[in-house]
Amino acid sequence: MIGLLAAADTLVLFVAASLTKPLQPVLDAFTAQTGIVVQRESGASLEHVRKITDLHRVPDVLLLADADVFPRYLMPAHATWYADFARNRMVVAYTPKSRHAAEITADNWMSILQRGDVEIGRTDPRIAPVGYRTLLMFQLAERYYKKPGLAKSLFDHAPDRNIRPNAAELAALLAAGELDYIYDYQSVAESNGFRYVVLPPQIDLGDAHREKDYESVSVQVRGASPGTTTTVRGEPILYGMTIPRAAPHPVSADRFVAYLFSPAVVKQLRDAHVDMLANPVVHGSGAPAGLRGGAGR
Amino acid sequence: MASVIVAIVASLFLLFIVGPVAGLVGSGGGRGLASLVSDSELRQSLSLTALTATTATFLGILGGTPIAYVLARRTFRGKALLAAIMDLPLVIPHPVAGIALLLVLGRGTTLGSALYAAGLRVAGSPTGIICAMLFVSAPLYVSAARESFARVDARFEAVARTLGDDAWRAFRRVTLPLSARGLTAAAIVMWARAVSEFGAIVILTYNPKVASVLSYDRFTAFGLQEALPVAAVLVLLALVPLAALRALRKE
Amino acid sequence: MISLRLVNSRVGHFRLTDITFDVADGGYGVVIGPAGAGKTTLLETIAGVTRATSGQIILRGEDMTTVAPERRRLGIVYQHAYLFPHLTVRENVEYGAASAADAEDAADRFGVEGLFDRAVESLSGGERQLVAIARAIAAKPEVLLLDEPFSALDPRTRGETRRQLRATYFERGFTVLQVTHDFAEAGVLGDVAIVLDRGRVVQKGDPADVFHRPVSPYLAVFLGVENVFAGTARPIRAEAPDWRDAAGDQFAELPVAFTTGALTFYALGDVVPGPAHAVIRAEEVSLSVEPSMSSMQNQFRGRIVEIVPAGALSKVTVEASGTSIVAAVTARSVRELSLDVGREIVAGFKATAVHLC
Repeated sequence: MIGLLAAADTLVLFVAASLTKPLQPVLDAFTAQTGIVVQRESGASLEHVRKITDLHRVPDVLLLADADVFPRYLMPAHATWYADFARNRMVVAYTPKSRHAAEITADNWMSILQRGDVEIGRTDPRIAPVGYRTLLMFQLAERYYKKPGLAKSLFDHAPDRNIRPNAAELAALLAAGELDYIYDYQSVAESNGFRYVVLPPQIDLGDAHREKDYESVSVQVRGASPGTTTTVRGEPILYGMTIPRAAPHPVSADRFVAYLFSPAVVKQLRDAHVDMLANPVVHGSGAPAGLRGGAGR
Repeated sequence: MASVIVAIVASLFLLFIVGPVAGLVGSGGGRGLASLVSDSELRQSLSLTALTATTATFLGILGGTPIAYVLARRTFRGKALLAAIMDLPLVIPHPVAGIALLLVLGRGTTLGSALYAAGLRVAGSPTGIICAMLFVSAPLYVSAARESFARVDARFEAVARTLGDDAWRAFRRVTLPLSARGLTAAAIVMWARAVSEFGAIVILTYNPKVASVLSYDRFTAFGLQEALPVAAVLVLLALVPLAALRALRKE
Repeated sequence: MISLRLVNSRVGHFRLTDITFDVADGGYGVVIGPAGAGKTTLLETIAGVTRATSGQIILRGEDMTTVAPERRRLGIVYQHAYLFPHLTVRENVEYGAASAADAEDAADRFGVEGLFDRAVESLSGGERQLVAIARAIAAKPEVLLLDEPFSALDPRTRGETRRQLRATYFERGFTVLQVTHDFAEAGVLGDVAIVLDRGRVVQKGDPADVFHRPVSPYLAVFLGVENVFAGTARPIRAEAPDWRDAAGDQFAELPVAFTTGALTFYALGDVVPGPAHAVIRAEEVSLSVEPSMSSMQNQFRGRIVEIVPAGALSKVTVEASGTSIVAAVTARSVRELSLDVGREIVAGFKATAVHLC
């Protein structure tokens, strides 16, 4: 009896670190409206994946920054479908406290970020999508600006010691003044109130129409087992979500998904600088009917 | 009847403590030790952990021993406050401790920027690791050292003083030898705590990775099976300070 | 010499208030008082291990109030040796000594040289105490503070050690302040007695004086005076019989009648009429079969109710008209007078033996 009640009243949510801040008001409103208590866990994509595959802790709804993670790690054993629902782009974020903050522009950012006197941070490519997307962006930049060796130089200037496991931690360090510049998502920069350099769409992985261009670069990241590597190609940044097969509270999950893609909430998220797609793009089978119908407008 | 219940409860508790550890060592121990040979990242991480923990412990002994002595011997206004402050890091959640340190030692602060200008980087370096370890584990040393000093009757020091020793000499010739065992045990406890710290360290310094961060990284990237050997090796290494403590007690 | 002027100090619950006394240079002071009086605190304050919060401590003419303990040139021996457990006996004795020869000499005096290579924990309590004394002496202090140093020793060793200590004291001429519970010892050793109670000096002076004229009945009881009576005192100048002292002169103080129970004592003193206590040492009470014709102003007939042998003396309790009087007489007198429980006897004492407080 109590179990049943609990099942109706709880929602377990694993969400990408970069989405956490803009999503929080949505979660609060959802709870206020439905009475369902949300247990939110925030972290990098792979952190969430491991919780599901190895620790057998399955959420009701999973929201990740890289839609690609679903087919690669979770399907078909843990999920039968996933939906792309938002875009994002890479930016260089900074604050007024950052060194050379007054000088930096969309044209000179590479040279400033190659100076020895700035601290630049990025996310760990081994566990977070934004990490390897940063590396992909370096490569695209090298090609776009026609500067051989730029990718390596930018990489060297964001050294190991300034790597953090996920986008939110990186943002925290920038806010604390420990770093001058970070490579992160636009949504993160916006929601933290950082200033940022807008990068050319050719390199920022944010334009869905430039798929072919993005595909031309790739990076080697650590594979699923030690000693192996995987090649990851550039592609537009797409956030993906799913309701896992073993979701403990499927009723709550359905209600939440419907809520998330309702016009009011989509607008709310867009205002919070999350670039929601007009219609979520569903892959696989078994997704809730409402989703497939293009709930957003 | 009562003693039977006590025995059962005690056995369950023991099982609760020993079980997970034994399981860990059992499933990953062999592979873990074997991987020490091939896995240079693991070796580096272990030596970094040992180095930083040892440095932190030395700093803790240096700064904490006088405080422990004063707390053990003197009465003064604000003594209770000082003791409470020394215990604070124990109750602060670990990531919060890391943030607190960042607020004082970070590049953007008065102290931090001075250190940075002098070339001493805190976040993202072994220095940051040492600071985090020191912060969370020093209170354990101070309270155990205070106990050790308190157990040395102050009258021994009084006699030494009347026999011509100044305060420092009396401490060195009488108090220290008599509390040495206790102080060593306190240092070992501090070291063990430093080695196992994760939350505070990861805020300040993610790379280079100490063993706790590496095991989490391995888990996140490769899953439980791959993380087990690292964890098992850590447990086996953790037996070293425990063995040292036992050896001390037997003497 | 040891001079304290209005010294105050405090350790936990023990508190010293306005302590003032003097022990002459080369003198031997004894400190007595009940448990908790602060005797050990007093020694530790003089030693400097407890800080005096106000007042002055003068040792050998120098104001040492703010001087660190190691520069006061004094030694302390606690009731329980406090030998350093991590050092051998030799290392203990040599700890503050200027040379190994000094240490050997000191050890030799107290018969502990043979223990030199032993570990502290293998020694008996008595042996440890001897080593502790040797250790203090080896450092050649100018002032020696002793906190019941002989109480851990058996009676024979106690006597021997006391003799050795006295000998060393005479030889070297340092000043001694000793806390003791043993009043006989205090009377024998000291030239000044300081009575401490609840952190204050309640009486000081010649030991004999203190013992015979304790300043309060409570103190009298503490000092082991056997006869303490509560009653009423009344000056009787007008009625005074013609009292003379042994030389035939009139007494300087006024005669007083002290009534307790059914008895009236005659005493001397300047008292305010009213409630008072009379204190008489048992040694001053003599027993006789018949009242003597001597100048003993107080003689009472009574019956022996108890005889308690106490070393060389016996304490004989006589009940006279409902009041118990204790006399201390030699064992020989007991035999000669055929004293026995139930026997009728006369207990007498001089007016001068009655101390009113």
